[in-house]
Amino acid sequence: MLTVENIHAGYGPTSILQDVSLDVKEGEIVTIVGANGAGKTTTLRTIAGLITPTSGRITFCGEDITRLRGDQVVDRGITLIPEGRQLFPDMTVRENLLMGAYRRAARDFQDERLEEVLDIFPRVRERLHQTASSLSGGEQQMVAIARGMMANPRLLMFDEPSLGLAPIIVSQVFEVVQQIAAKGTTVLIVEQNVYSTLKVAQRGYVLENGRVVISESAEDLLQDDYVRQAYLGI
Amino acid sequence: MSNETTSGPSVPAPSLPWPAIGVVLVLASLLLIPLGIGNAFVTHIFVTICLMAALSSAWNLVGGFAGQLSLGHATFYGIGAYTAVILVNLGITPWIGMFAGAGIAAIVGMAISYPCFRLKGPFFSLASIAFLEVFRVLTLHFSDFTGGATGKMIPLKLGWTWMVFRERWPSLLIIFGMLCAVLVVVWAVRRSRLGFYLIATRERESAAKAAGVKTVQVRLVAVAISSALCAMLGTFHAMYLTFIEPSAMFSLTFSIQIAMFALIGGLGTVSGPLLGAVLLVPLTEWARASFGASALGLHGFVYGVVLLLAVLFMPNGIIGLLQKFRRAPHHELDEDEQTTQTDSIKAPAQATTPPSPDREGIGRDVMRVQNLNKRFGGLHVTKNVNFTLREGEVLGLIGPNGAGKTTLFNMLSGFLTPNEGSVTVRGPDGGYHTPVNPADFAALGVGRTFQIVQPFAAMTVEENIMVGAFYRHHDEHDAREAARQTAWRMGLGPLLQDEARGLTIGGLKRLEVARVMAMEPRILLLDEVMAGINQTDVRRAIDLMLSIRDSGVSIIAIEHVMQAVMSLSDRVLVLAAGEVIAEGDPHEVVRDPHVIEAYLGKEFANAHR
Amino acid sequence: MTTFLQILLNGLMLGGLFAIVSIGLTLIFGIIKVVNFAHGEFLMGGMFITWLITTQMGLHPYAAVIVVVPVLFVMGALTQRLLIQPLMSARDDHIQIFATVGLSTALINLALLIFGADIANTPPHGLRAPLEFGELRLLTGQVMIFGAAIVLVIGLELFLKYTQTGRAIRAVAQNRGAAELMGINVNHIYVLTFGLGAACVGLAAVLIAPLYPTSSNIGTYFVLTAFVVVVLGGLGSIPGAFLGALIIGEVDALSGYYIGSDLREAVVFGLFLLILILRPSGLFGARQNLSHLS
Repeated sequence: MLTVENIHAGYGPTSILQDVSLDVKEGEIVTIVGANGAGKTTTLRTIAGLITPTSGRITFCGEDITRLRGDQVVDRGITLIPEGRQLFPDMTVRENLLMGAYRRAARDFQDERLEEVLDIFPRVRERLHQTASSLSGGEQQMVAIARGMMANPRLLMFDEPSLGLAPIIVSQVFEVVQQIAAKGTTVLIVEQNVYSTLKVAQRGYVLENGRVVISESAEDLLQDDYVRQAYLGI
Repeated sequence: MSNETTSGPSVPAPSLPWPAIGVVLVLASLLLIPLGIGNAFVTHIFVTICLMAALSSAWNLVGGFAGQLSLGHATFYGIGAYTAVILVNLGITPWIGMFAGAGIAAIVGMAISYPCFRLKGPFFSLASIAFLEVFRVLTLHFSDFTGGATGKMIPLKLGWTWMVFRERWPSLLIIFGMLCAVLVVVWAVRRSRLGFYLIATRERESAAKAAGVKTVQVRLVAVAISSALCAMLGTFHAMYLTFIEPSAMFSLTFSIQIAMFALIGGLGTVSGPLLGAVLLVPLTEWARASFGASALGLHGFVYGVVLLLAVLFMPNGIIGLLQKFRRAPHHELDEDEQTTQTDSIKAPAQATTPPSPDREGIGRDVMRVQNLNKRFGGLHVTKNVNFTLREGEVLGLIGPNGAGKTTLFNMLSGFLTPNEGSVTVRGPDGGYHTPVNPADFAALGVGRTFQIVQPFAAMTVEENIMVGAFYRHHDEHDAREAARQTAWRMGLGPLLQDEARGLTIGGLKRLEVARVMAMEPRILLLDEVMAGINQTDVRRAIDLMLSIRDSGVSIIAIEHVMQAVMSLSDRVLVLAAGEVIAEGDPHEVVRDPHVIEAYLGKEFANAHR
Repeated sequence: MTTFLQILLNGLMLGGLFAIVSIGLTLIFGIIKVVNFAHGEFLMGGMFITWLITTQMGLHPYAAVIVVVPVLFVMGALTQRLLIQPLMSARDDHIQIFATVGLSTALINLALLIFGADIANTPPHGLRAPLEFGELRLLTGQVMIFGAAIVLVIGLELFLKYTQTGRAIRAVAQNRGAAELMGINVNHIYVLTFGLGAACVGLAAVLIAPLYPTSSNIGTYFVLTAFVVVVLGGLGSIPGAFLGALIIGEVDALSGYYIGSDLREAVVFGLFLLILILRPSGLFGARQNLSHLS
C-alpha cells in the first residue's frame, strides 16, 4: 500500500534521514522503533508531505506521492496524528473534529463521520462543547486521534500517541489503535513505548541515526537480543 | 585541559582587513571630495550624506543590534533640535545644548521603550511611530517655547560658538567629526559585552536570559545611547538649517529613511548604514533636484520601491552580499574538520568510571525543590514534585517523553513560574535564596542547556561561547580567552570562527554545553545533551560530564541514553505523567515495577514480574 | 448637559469610524501575525477610487462599494502573495514590517504623483445631512458607518465560527502545523485573510469618503489611531477592536473638548503607553498557546 524507497530528507541544510526504505501493506499495523533523534518523526512528516525528500521515492496505492504537498497527501487518504496532540486550543472539541474533515471529500460526509467517530470515543462526546485547552492530557489525545479519523483515512500514522500520559491511559490508547486497525484502517505507528507497540503491531523497523538497521516481524523483534537490550532494557 | 591545547592551532588570521580599509577610504572621500571641489551644493550633499549616515548608524544600535525596529527615530533628532534652539535663544551655545538634548532624548527613549521591551511583538515599532506623533503635536501646542506651526528661527550669531557659519565647509567638518564619533561608538559597542549581549538577545532571547543577560536592561542602554546620539545630530542639523518646524523635525518619512539606509547597507553591521547612505543619498538628492518640482512624490515613490525591492531581494543588505561573496568557498570543510578534530581530542583513556556513592565532595543541599505544580489549561504537567540536589552530585532525571521533565527544568531555571511550590538555591554566600527569574537563577550560579538547541545563529562559535564567558569576564579580551579555553575543552576548538548555523547537531549540542560552562556555573541543568549524537560522542560526553562534576559542579541531567544515565548518576529521579514515581540508586530504580510500567506498559510489567 | 451628551454621541460615532477602519487590521494581524503598516494607504486608495467613481460617473458614493471592495480584496491578496509570503520564512518579523512600510511609502507617493497634493472632496449626496434627536445632532453618514461597523463585526464573527473556511482561518492562527496536517493549504488561507482584511478597509473607505476630504496622507491620519485601537482590543480580536474603538472614540471626543482639540492625539497615544504597561494583552488578548510539549 505504502512504499518508501531510499529517501533522504531533513530540515534546511541538516540531513536527518539517510536512505530510509520501508513498506506498509493494507490492513497492517507497522511500527518504527528508535531513540530520540533517530529520525522517526521526520519519516512520518516526510510521508505526510510536510517535508520534501531530497532524493528517493514514496508511492501510495501505486501513485507516486513523493512531491505532493501536505493537503494533497491528505486527499490521497493518509493522515498523521502528530506528537503532542497539537489541537486547536481555543476551538471547541467539535470544531477540532470538524477541522479533521476539512478536505472536500470528507466534508460531504462530516456529520455521519462525526457520529461514527464519537461512537468509538464516548468520553469525547461528553466534552464536545468544551474548548480543547480545558481537557486533560488523555482526553486531548483521544480528541487528536478522533480528529485524525474524521478524514476517513486509509492509512493513519501515529506519532508518539502515549506522550505524557499516565500508564492507565496509555493502555486505553493502544486499545483504540487496535480497534481502528480492526475496522480496516492501516496503521503506521511511532512509539517510545516499544513493548506495548510491538505487542499490537505485525511488523517493525528499527531506525538509528536516520538509517533503518533492522526490519523484522514484531514477534521476532521482541525476541531480538539487540532490540531487547537497546530498547526494552532487558 | 592543558595550556598547549588552549592556545591550539591559531585562528587563521584574515589576510587583510578589507572591510576596515574600505570604511577608511569611504570616510576619507566624504571629507576630501567636497573640500577639493569647493562647490556649495556639492558640500551640502556631502553634509547630508554624513548626517544621514550618522543618524542611520545610531539607529542601527537599536534597530540592528538590539533588533528592535524603531520607525520613529526622528523623535530624538527633533528633541535635540528643539532643545538646542530653545537654549540658543536663551543665549546658551549649542555645544552645551547638544548634551542637554541628548540627556532628554535618552530619558524619553527609555521611557517609551521600557513597556515595549518587556513584550514580544510589534509594540515597539507601533509605539515609536505613535510618539513621533505625540511630540509633533506637543511642539505645535506649546507654541510659546517652540514657535508652533510657524517654526523657529535661529538668531543669526555667526562663529564656532554658535555653530552657524556663512560658508558650508565648517559645518562639513563638524558633521564629519560627529559621523566618525558615532562610528567609533558603534564599533566599540559591537566589540563590548553590551554588543554581544544585544546580539545574543536579538538572536535567541531565552538562551540569552539563560546566559545571565538582563535582556530588557541591555536594550534600554542601547536605546539611551542611540537616542542621545540622534539628539546631538539633531542639534547640528538645526544649526545647519537655521530654521526648524514641527512637521520637518518630527517626520515619519524622515524616520523611515533613517531606518532604510541601515537596511540597505546591512542591518546590525558597523559599516552598513554608512554604505547605505553613501549610495542612496546622492541618488535621491539628484532625483529631487532634477524631478522635484515637476513630479511631486516621485522621489518618495522611488524610496518606497527601493525599500520593497531591498526587502525582497537583498534582506541582508549590501554588506550581506559582500560577505556572501567573500565567504562562499569556505564552508565545505566543516563536517570533516569537526569529525577529525573530535577524534583527536584525548579523552581520558578509561571510559565510564562507575561513580561511588561515598565519593568525596557530595555535600550539603544546593537546591531544594518543594511541591512544584504546573498547569497549562486542563493539563496538569507537574504534580507535587519534591527533591533535593546536593553539592557535587549528578542527579539523573529520566522518564518517558512528555513526562514533564523539560517543564520542570524551566521552573528550575526561572523560565516558568510554578502555580504552586518553590525552588530554593544555596548561593555562593552559603544562604538559601528563592530566585524568581532567569537572571536571579543565573546570578546564583544555575546554568542550563536547552533540549532544542538554541544557538545564536548569526554569531560564530567563539562569539556564542563569549556570551557565556562575559558573565564572569567583563573585558572583551578576557572573555575571548576564556571562551577559547572552553571551546578547546569541548572539542570545538577548530570551529571557533565558524558561524553557529553551519554546525551539525552534535556540534550544536556541544556548543550549548560550552556556552553554559563558560559561565562557570555551580549548578548545571543539562537537557538531553546526548540525544541524536553517535556512540563515540556519547562516551566522550560522559567523560566530560564526570570531569565537570569533579570540579565541584552539581548536575541535573535529563537523559534518555540509559548507558549515560547508569554510568553518570549518583541518584536517579523518575518522572512519569508529571509525578515523581521513583527516586534513588540508578540500578535499583530501573528494576522498580512502577518505572518498568511507566516505560514499557502494564502488560510488560505483568509478564516479567 | 446637552453638550456633554452631544460629545458622548460624537465619541460613539467616532468609535464606529475607528472600528470599521481597525477591523481589517486586527484580522490580518490575528491570523498572519503581520502588522500591515500599509493599511492606512489601502484606506486612502479606496477613498480615491470612491471619489473617482462618484465624481466621474455621478453615482451615489455608496455605489462605489461594488468596485472598491473587490479591488481592495485583490490588492490585499496580491500583497500577501507577492510581498509577505516570500518573507514568511524570514528570520525575524522586521523584514515584514519593512516590507509593509515600503509599500506604504510607495503608495502614499504614488497617490501624490497621480492625484497631486490637492484635496479631493467626494460629493456627499445627502450623507452630511444632519439627523436630529431632540437637541442632539448626528450626520446620516456617521450613523451609516456605525451600523456598518456592527454588521461587519457580527458578520465576520459568524463567518469565522460557522463556516468551514472561517474555522480553517482560525485553525491556521491557533496551530499552523496542525492546520497543515488537516489538509488546509496555509498559504491559500493567508492570501484569503489578507484579501478579506483589505476588503474590510475598502468598505470603510467607501463609507468614510463622503465625510472626510481625501488626500494622500489621510491613511496615516487614521491608521495611527487604528494601531492603538487594535492593541487596546487585544491584537487579533475583532470584538476587542470594536470595543477598543468605542473607548478610543470617547477618549478622543472628551479630551478634544475638555483638554484641547490639538492635544487629542497626545492623550490617545499616552493611553497607548499606559495600556502597554498595564494590560499589554488588551481587553480580549489571545490566550497562551498550549505548545509547551513540542
